[in-house]
Amino acid sequence: MANTKKYWKGIEQLDDESSFLDSNKNEFAEQLPIADFLGDKEKLEDSSTSRRDFLKYLGFGVAAASLAACETPVTKAIPYINKPEEVTPGVANHYASTYFDGNDYCPVLIKTREGRPIFIKGNKLSPLTKGEISARVNASVMSLYDNNRLKSPMINGESKTWAAIDNRLGKALKEAKNLKILTGTVISPSTKSIINSFIGASTSPNEDGNVNENNIIQYDMISYSGILDANKESFNKRSIPTYNFQKAKVIVSIGADFLSGWLDSIQYNVGYAETRSPEKEWMSKHFQFEANMSLTGTNADVRIPVKPSDYGVIIASLYNLVATDLGLNKVKVSILNKNYIKRVEEVAKHLLKNKEESIVVCSSNDKDIQTMVNGLNEMLGNYNSTIDLDKISNTKQGDDKEMMSLVNEMESGNVDALLIYGIDPVLSFGDRFKKALSKVKTTVSFASKMDETAAECNYVCPDSHFLESWNDANPVLGHYSLGQPTISPLFDTRQVQESLMKWTGTEGSYHDYIKAYWKENVFPKTEALLFIDFWNLSIHDGVVETKIEKKALNTINLTENVSKAATKVANIKVDSSAYELTLYIKEGIGHGVGADNPVLQELPDPVSKITWDNYVTMNPSEMKDKNYNTIFGQESPANLIAVTVGDKTIELPVIAQPGQAKGTIGIALGYGKAVGKMKELTGKNAYPFVVRDKDGSPLYTANATITDLEGSYPIAAAQTQQTVMGRGSIIKETTIDVFKNGNRDDYNPVLTLLSSETDEHGHQKPKPLAEFDLWGDQPVKNIGHRWGMSIDMNLCTGCGACVTACNIENNVAVIGKDEVRRGRIMHWLRIDRYYSSEHQPLGDIGSTHEKTKEALDVNGISAYTAMESADTDNPSVVHQPMMCQHCNHAGCETVCPVAATTHSNEGLNMMTYNRCIGTRYCANNCAYKVRRFNWYNYIANSKFEDINPSQDDIGRMVLNPDVVVRSRGVMEKCSFCIQGIQAAKLEAKNEGRPVRDGDVDCACSTACGSEAIIFGDLNDKGSDVRAGMEKDRAYRVIEEVGQDANVYYQTKVRNLKA
Amino acid sequence: MHKEAAIREPLILGSPTYSDISNDVLFAIENKPTKLWKVLMVIASIAALWGIGCITYLLGVGIGTWGLNNTVGWAWDITNFVWWVGIGHAGTLISAVLLLFRQKWRMAINRPAEAMTIFAVFMAGLFPLIHMGRIWMAYWVLPLPNQFGSLWVNFNSPLLWDVFAISTYLSVSLVFWYIGLIPDFGTIRDRATRPVQKLMYGLLSFGWTGNAKAWQRFEEVSLVLAGLATPLVFSVHSIVSMDFATSVIPGWHTTIFPPYFVAGAVFSGFAMVQTLMLIVRKAMRLEHYVTIKHIEYMNIVIIVTGSIVGVAYLTELFIAYYSGVEYESYAFINRLSGPYWWSYWAMMTCNVVSPHLFWSNKLRTNLAFTFVMSIIVNIGMWFERFVIIVTSVHRDYLPSSWSMFYPTWVDIGVFVGTIGLFSVFYLLFLKYFPVLAFNEVKSILKSSGEQYKNMTDEEFKTLHPVFKKDIK
Repeated sequence: MANTKKYWKGIEQLDDESSFLDSNKNEFAEQLPIADFLGDKEKLEDSSTSRRDFLKYLGFGVAAASLAACETPVTKAIPYINKPEEVTPGVANHYASTYFDGNDYCPVLIKTREGRPIFIKGNKLSPLTKGEISARVNASVMSLYDNNRLKSPMINGESKTWAAIDNRLGKALKEAKNLKILTGTVISPSTKSIINSFIGASTSPNEDGNVNENNIIQYDMISYSGILDANKESFNKRSIPTYNFQKAKVIVSIGADFLSGWLDSIQYNVGYAETRSPEKEWMSKHFQFEANMSLTGTNADVRIPVKPSDYGVIIASLYNLVATDLGLNKVKVSILNKNYIKRVEEVAKHLLKNKEESIVVCSSNDKDIQTMVNGLNEMLGNYNSTIDLDKISNTKQGDDKEMMSLVNEMESGNVDALLIYGIDPVLSFGDRFKKALSKVKTTVSFASKMDETAAECNYVCPDSHFLESWNDANPVLGHYSLGQPTISPLFDTRQVQESLMKWTGTEGSYHDYIKAYWKENVFPKTEALLFIDFWNLSIHDGVVETKIEKKALNTINLTENVSKAATKVANIKVDSSAYELTLYIKEGIGHGVGADNPVLQELPDPVSKITWDNYVTMNPSEMKDKNYNTIFGQESPANLIAVTVGDKTIELPVIAQPGQAKGTIGIALGYGKAVGKMKELTGKNAYPFVVRDKDGSPLYTANATITDLEGSYPIAAAQTQQTVMGRGSIIKETTIDVFKNGNRDDYNPVLTLLSSETDEHGHQKPKPLAEFDLWGDQPVKNIGHRWGMSIDMNLCTGCGACVTACNIENNVAVIGKDEVRRGRIMHWLRIDRYYSSEHQPLGDIGSTHEKTKEALDVNGISAYTAMESADTDNPSVVHQPMMCQHCNHAGCETVCPVAATTHSNEGLNMMTYNRCIGTRYCANNCAYKVRRFNWYNYIANSKFEDINPSQDDIGRMVLNPDVVVRSRGVMEKCSFCIQGIQAAKLEAKNEGRPVRDGDVDCACSTACGSEAIIFGDLNDKGSDVRAGMEKDRAYRVIEEVGQDANVYYQTKVRNLKA
Repeated sequence: MHKEAAIREPLILGSPTYSDISNDVLFAIENKPTKLWKVLMVIASIAALWGIGCITYLLGVGIGTWGLNNTVGWAWDITNFVWWVGIGHAGTLISAVLLLFRQKWRMAINRPAEAMTIFAVFMAGLFPLIHMGRIWMAYWVLPLPNQFGSLWVNFNSPLLWDVFAISTYLSVSLVFWYIGLIPDFGTIRDRATRPVQKLMYGLLSFGWTGNAKAWQRFEEVSLVLAGLATPLVFSVHSIVSMDFATSVIPGWHTTIFPPYFVAGAVFSGFAMVQTLMLIVRKAMRLEHYVTIKHIEYMNIVIIVTGSIVGVAYLTELFIAYYSGVEYESYAFINRLSGPYWWSYWAMMTCNVVSPHLFWSNKLRTNLAFTFVMSIIVNIGMWFERFVIIVTSVHRDYLPSSWSMFYPTWVDIGVFVGTIGLFSVFYLLFLKYFPVLAFNEVKSILKSSGEQYKNMTDEEFKTLHPVFKKDIK
């Protein structure tokens, strides 16, 4: 319909007055005085603007405009108007805090610079972890600055404000009749209390009038139901005791990777390391029965590859052997594989010899097997000696039975609202949970990043990062710790506790809530006098020890239970035709927390040294039978196979894992999150392979079949060579007998050469290597500082925490799978892993080293070829951290044409990035191959856009301002964290004192709670590092080349007889 | 003027006159380019442009576009560098050393060999430049005063010695070559008809008059430069070898390297001269001047230097065994039996076994065979450098760092590009420069020319005014 409305400018137009019509003909309402101006010659001449001037102005104008356009953009640094008292630019502040991701608990110290947290180290004040940290905890600072985090709450995928969420969700929650909250293990007592009051307010109470705890379900991504349920039966309490590995002279682990991921592995690392020093009165003897080659297995003195289906029978046999000796009743046992009989008998002998001083642990999630382990530990008297029943651990509380009933209830459509916090059940539980979730009307996820579960939820209320949040934790009975924020939330996120408080209408902040909770519940258990002092000290220290009311767990009916359990285990039928699959978690990725952290993806697996992927591990000899490629390299990809468990099939590459028990395969969990930016790079999700028993308890072992597939899959490994090729001056190892009974010459002889001088018989006299030095004496020997390192290969478990620490401290670039595959990993510090090419010695017999040499003499060249591949059945393993050795006569320094790498007068080998022209001659001439070249401009090249976090503004915030980011075409390498040395020297100077031992620490030595890496001044006679250098075990890698390194390694001593 | 012994074979075949020689040599300059030349030029230009494109990409994106890695920091780049430097050895050796030894057969080949030297050194010099991570800072390797904004260099570094050695070698070779060209440019200028040509060659000939005094000075300067250039023949490759010999890497750290590298360089240089000369003499119809005898002489040099190289290889093996050093022994075991065994055996076959076929007179004088052999030797010498560089460093002390090297298309492109660029330069040389030192060749016409050799003494005497009166 045409618009018939008419508008008019004035009454004149309406009336069609002639005066209006006239004026309307003129374009301008008023007459412009153009004619007057131009026509009037006089005026024109008076005006100061001549034609010349006009051109001048025009010229200036153009010039000014172009000049303005040329100006470089100004990036403003905004200074504080009022400088916060505690922030001094250039000076780092440290805050104690707590890390807990549902699996790992770790008290930490956060280093902040100018208000930005940039580094996480372990809190040395914690009696539990004593400064130990894992790669995952250390690298968690990267996840704070992850640009893929959720930046605002969402309803049905649309961004909303918190007010809108509170409004709509508040209503939805009120309407819900049956509301449930599903969480990971919650170790924060304040959070627990908030959840309780939230459930109390939202749901009807139970029959006793208390909060109905059935509405709170705890579920662990990696289930420990087996051990928890067994303990419930054995001790009448569903909890896990504290394993004091530091007290155990004999450690027997059946499948448990207790140094990497199994239960409270960060704590166990500390305890374990305390027993591994051969200089101490005793050294623990560690037996490991396992299918996959785990990190723990690589550290064992004796490792016995067994199938996971044999775990039960091994434990039962051990039980019977011990019981027989002690005159107790035996239990039913099926037939033990004859290959293991001798080993099991040997283990039993050691256990009996060390009663009350041993530990037996098992990874099985089968309640019955765990009951037998409990029985074994009880017989050996380990409870209340090495296994502390008073200090129970809270870090694993998930109950799979509750989870199953929740899923059933959800499937029946009876659940109206479900809140999910701290876990990703769609990933780990699978499609069944996903379908069940769709039947719940109101679903709320608190994920801070889009994950499988959050993608299925109506409401996503992103939780703040732990570095942005207040929190507390009670990981072990009698041990509390606090988490404090070190930065304001970067995005529009709100921590879960605040959300729940808001929805229940609780006043105040979560900080106030914790404070009140602590005042009421923690403070009274301590001996502190004033709460305010106690509170301030707790925040400062981060950790608090409290008195424990003696609530010791007591064993009940254990013998009877064990007998029942053993009968059940003995009756399990084993299908020997299939491959037995063991699912495991990797040091870097964990149950999935590290999957979207590029630093952790690029952390080489401690055993396979492969980055960026999960894969099927298989014994190389079995792979050869199937014609699979057993060698992986840049242009040597792995074969793809399809693994089938039940009705689930996953395609994965298969790689050779020496020491993998025959007939078994392994796959790592935690990979393959389909949601997120790096989805193409994160392997495959293996959670569908988790088989559940009738109670819903997942078993991480299953029978699998494999089928060959066409095609291959590139593998990016940081190390492709398997063995050390018998090179005795790289790895020195010996046995405890030789070490204790022999002298230095037996295991670590001083290197000598024959001199021209002769003795009375006319023989040439040997002289120490140092006397043949072409060079003058070290200018830094005994003068000033001489920085150096001592690395104890007995204490190093190979975990890789030092590697991530080094990467984050030194802004080491992440380069992605393709570049790692090309052998260009940028890590300044790597951990070399060598397999022996010989069988691991059988039990207590012989060391591996001599045999290799024998083989050499007999077979000549072919022996070398044979040495290249590791023993497939059961090799010994050694881990060797390797970084710049800061040679005093460095090969790199002499060859640089422009003197970009030089020696400092403190013994450091220094690298001047802005002098480097990138000839790479230094890297070629480095005998240790520790120099790293910037092949590309990693911070701008589009190849690294999705990989290198430094390519976006948020990701760059984690960069350490003390360390320059290297440009394309320059060489870089370990600097011994020279920024730390300079800072410590400055501090000492300001205080007018010499630098003390312990003032200076490198990122790697800080991260190593087991103190395998010690840094300090070799000229300081009282320093720890000097003590390391002077040990009989101390040697330098390839010392005979004469580079005079400043890094000393300690000979590896295995607890074996000579 | 003396007559050479009849037993020596003539160095100039047929019966060319002085003007025939000029005409033969200057045919290419004074006529339109042939079809063959054009075709070759197009192919060479495409290869060169491809190489330039690859280099541009390399410089724009980073050294990562090559196949190098943390363990193998040098591969094709330095292999090509040493290969080209080696090739660049024959020219100076021929012109300087053979001049000092008064080997007249050098006259037919010294010009093209020197041109080859210069272009090869250009190509060689390219690699140390582009292999730098930051080529825009390349001038830092020069010992410029600190006031310049640079810092003093590290005189301990063999790479720095390389800078001096190669730049000295290039400049002396260039001067030597140019001095030799002056009389020939003078002749071209005199014959030139087109004004531009006349002007250009006039400028290039530096006002050459061709009088006796000029010739005398020319001879003296040549002798002096030959004296200067001779030690350079030995110094350049010795110094290049020190890049490796002074390092600590097993397989590099070898005192035999300087003589071994020099012999290898002469070996490969002569092979490359063969490759080029066999094409040039055929295409430019210079068979009268570059005779089978010349080819045979060069083949003899190839046998001798090939044998030296062979002895050096065996010495290395023996020392590796005899030294008892674990790493050294393994480096050589790895060379011959490790993952790069094929490159070692390619080197051994091409460099040690195949030259000995030249002991057969029939093969030695067979042009087709010689051509194939010259290519084989060049391939062998490329592999020698590849074996030394890559197979030593890819498996050195710590097995954890062992890796493989795989070239990328950029590696290959740059190498092919330098061959193309070299060919472009060489084709331009063939077209615009006197390809033989024809004024010098004329000087041996009567002593070593076939026609004169076949004359009786009486006939010979009629040719020369000095003898003319005797005949009367």
